[in-house]
Amino acid sequence: MTTATTPGIAPESGGYTVDVVERTDNRMVLSMGPQHPSTHGVLQVVTEIQGENITKASPEIGYLHTGIEKSAENLFWNQASTVIERMDYLSPLTNALCYYLAVEKLLGIEDQIPARANQVRVLFSELSRIASHCVWLGTGGIDIGALTPFFYCFDLRERILDLFEMAGGARMHPNYIRVGGLREDLPDGFLRKLDELIAMFAPRMRDLRGLLQKNPIFQDRTIDIGIISAEDAVAWSLTGPVLRASGIAYDVRKAFPYSGYGEYEFDVPVRTEGDAYARFLVRLDEMDEAMRIVRQVRKKLDEKGPFQIADTKFAPPPKETIALSMEALIHHFKLVSESFRVPPGDVYQAVEGPRGELGYYVVSNGDNRPWRVRTRPPSMYNLQVLKKLAIGELIADMVVMIGSLDPVFGEVDR
Amino acid sequence: MPSSQAPPAGATALDPTAVRPDIADARIIRITPAEVRATLSGLRDDGFTMLLDVGGADYPGREPARFDVVYHLLRMPVKIATVAEVGAPERVRVLCGVPENDPVVPTVSDLWPSADWAEREIFDLFGVRFDGHPDMRRIQMPDDWEGYPLRKDYPLRGVARERTPRPSFALKSNVAAGTPASGKTAAALQKQIAQARGRDEFHGADDPAKTAQSGRHPGGASTAGTAAPEQLAQQPVHLKKDTPQ
Repeated sequence: MTTATTPGIAPESGGYTVDVVERTDNRMVLSMGPQHPSTHGVLQVVTEIQGENITKASPEIGYLHTGIEKSAENLFWNQASTVIERMDYLSPLTNALCYYLAVEKLLGIEDQIPARANQVRVLFSELSRIASHCVWLGTGGIDIGALTPFFYCFDLRERILDLFEMAGGARMHPNYIRVGGLREDLPDGFLRKLDELIAMFAPRMRDLRGLLQKNPIFQDRTIDIGIISAEDAVAWSLTGPVLRASGIAYDVRKAFPYSGYGEYEFDVPVRTEGDAYARFLVRLDEMDEAMRIVRQVRKKLDEKGPFQIADTKFAPPPKETIALSMEALIHHFKLVSESFRVPPGDVYQAVEGPRGELGYYVVSNGDNRPWRVRTRPPSMYNLQVLKKLAIGELIADMVVMIGSLDPVFGEVDR
Repeated sequence: MPSSQAPPAGATALDPTAVRPDIADARIIRITPAEVRATLSGLRDDGFTMLLDVGGADYPGREPARFDVVYHLLRMPVKIATVAEVGAPERVRVLCGVPENDPVVPTVSDLWPSADWAEREIFDLFGVRFDGHPDMRRIQMPDDWEGYPLRKDYPLRGVARERTPRPSFALKSNVAAGTPASGKTAAALQKQIAQARGRDEFHGADDPAKTAQSGRHPGGASTAGTAAPEQLAQQPVHLKKDTPQ
């Protein structure tokens, strides 16, 4: 067995190196992606196979690197969320929430966020989780030949995106969360649409479970595939549903509550099998728990209240006061033209995203732009375990394993 | 803490880390590269079994360590087989200062396999090498890329160019040195404005007579209201003539 590892550039490999190059035994190298439909983006996995069994897998990332962290450092504090939302493009509001929680900690205003803002933030976090899991479930089903769930999932997701559009004006990247609260209050008719979503959710989940959970083909393809032990899950820094499917009940919402998550009753679904089917079940249960939180938030939303902090140095003053008050006009002008300044310091803030612990390490040097915005990308750490996970599995199960890890490449590559 | 207050003691523009005891997000440990392995393996034995993240940060001009390699570790609230004792969930942040002339840190990818890609990313974007790493090559950028994009002296776009200081960039030091906040002298700003006027970019040009003649606002007899319909009427004909079928 010879493994040719070439440091630097190997011209014969077209400008990039992979650590499995040539074989003299009966193994062969199979490159999957980066334009493979089941890699859910641009992932290349260079696999070494013997017969149908994978003996080595080397994921190559970076095809979607867009320098979002660098861009964020060069935007105002309240502009940076426009690019930050593009990292995990399946749950953009979770990204923005985490970033703004970090900024609010640096500003020292995290205790002044109004209750209604926190409720809407929790609502949108949980709706994002459902929408994101819908994409995972729909595309993950397609990967192994189940086409029907895709339409059920995307219909459900579309209704959630309609809510985002109502509130923020855009389906994918509403940019709705702001320092100190929200950009604006929920529009008229929002709660009625939310009620419709809540009403249709339970029967839809029943359909989805009926289509997949007891489906013998689906079970054959996922049970005992890609098993991750609890020790491995910790050693490889896995978080989110992947960690909880391996038997470890770590959830940021419970361990380090933020935005008032302590007020809501919900369970953290855990399974101990650690295979692709367990990850599937954990995510389905998570969707139900997310809807449980949504229903609790919904009850509180009837009461109107302020949606942003009163301090107009951070949050823009109400539009009607701008025409009347000189001070409001000045604050508005200052916010738009040069943003606000954040006292020096560094902070790590994490939220429980749909893929796991999404963290932001934000450094301020007292300027009106962040000095450093480091993302802790859950997808990247979750995807990395593929190197270990794939060994010994069948090449046909590679798509199942990638799907069960649920990577989003906007976040992996940033 | 509102932004109007003075920055906390010990904060400088060059090192804004570990100056905010009011934010209790994590226990902070500051180390040198030589102490990395002992500190981190000690923490791991102490129950901080999960390496959440390895990130980098650049503070040009800071002495003796320009870069920070930032480790975030987590002690989980639940018990797993390899850990005897577990406490409340807790995070710890280990800041390892790395000098610019010798940016090398020992790897921890043998302690935590998940450090592999994270360390490669720091090497790729900051140019900090990890000694003992099994596969130290670029991960996000192409292998033949020159430079380290997340360093502060790396340009934001295009080829390397002279950077104009941003209006707010290191404001305090600029003001202290007596330079205008924008980095430009008043004369240079006036010149720029004059050039912009010469290109007719502003509605309010400095010569009112000229403005009136050109039919532009303000106060000219022929305003945009009368001129615009003619132009609009001519526009489609013109377009039709030039546009190939």
